[in-house]
Amino acid sequence: MKRVAAVVAALAVAGLVVYVMAKGFGTDPHEVPFLMAGQKAPEFSITRLDTNETVTLSQFKGKPVVLNFWATWCGPCAMEHPNLEWAARTYADKVVFLGIVFEDTEANTRRFLAEKGWTFTQLFDPKSTIAVDYAVSGVPETYFINREGVIVGKYAAPISRDILAQRIGEIL
Amino acid sequence: MISLILLALSLQYAPTRDIGPQLDAEREARVMVLGKQLRCAVCQGVAISDSPASMAQAQLAKVRELVAEDKTDAEILAYFVQRYGEWVLLEPTKTGLNVVLWAGPLALLGIGLVVILMQRKKPDAPSAKPPAPTEDPLLAQVRADLEK
Repeated sequence: MKRVAAVVAALAVAGLVVYVMAKGFGTDPHEVPFLMAGQKAPEFSITRLDTNETVTLSQFKGKPVVLNFWATWCGPCAMEHPNLEWAARTYADKVVFLGIVFEDTEANTRRFLAEKGWTFTQLFDPKSTIAVDYAVSGVPETYFINREGVIVGKYAAPISRDILAQRIGEIL
Repeated sequence: MISLILLALSLQYAPTRDIGPQLDAEREARVMVLGKQLRCAVCQGVAISDSPASMAQAQLAKVRELVAEDKTDAEILAYFVQRYGEWVLLEPTKTGLNVVLWAGPLALLGIGLVVILMQRKKPDAPSAKPPAPTEDPLLAQVRADLEK
């Protein structure tokens, strides 16, 4: 009887351990979890690259915001640049587009933008503090913030026009 | 060497960054202890205090900023957990289902020991009578013939 109880207890503990491990094995170890969806977007105060004016997130209160974190040394960022430009023109009256350059130099950024062209506000995060506040885990990453200033989600890859249109639809 | 060549060809790397002013020795030591507990967001299982990655340095700078604001260790860890979940902690907390990870192997070891001890206490019961010898009748006949 005691032996049966010991075997049952061992099986129960083993089952629990296997369950916990299976949960871990079922997740992609390269995927960085993102828990900020549904949270208030962190406030920031940062300098515009073109006018040196200070820009804060709260000044766009009541408007949906698309926040794109990028860097000049990032190939996929250059690939998605025309798509973001397209979206910024298409949704100019409805959505605020902000680019935040981090992990980069201001000189590189100015050179890149002069070469590729730009129409929406570009900001420079010299110490990546805003990137850390937003839990950025790579480049490029695009955040979608609704009118209430809540992060609806982020897209952690070069973004296409279709996905931009779909995700913007969620914050309009 | 190949890695260096590939890195140079890809040209995809962040410029090096000035880590900024450090705190006094005591608080800087606290920053490093906390940095050892937090996972770098752009690396593979490396603590932010051990990673040379620019983004890890930015995360460490955030820890330094929060320490300078006199935040407690729990508040600083919570800042990162709120963003990345418990994934960001290199050592899982001993709460919830994580308890199984910590206590499970020990419990299994204990149960195993109990089973072994129970087995050792109980020697095999002797059988009532020895089994009857069985012999092939043909072999018995041959042996009997030889003995004659």
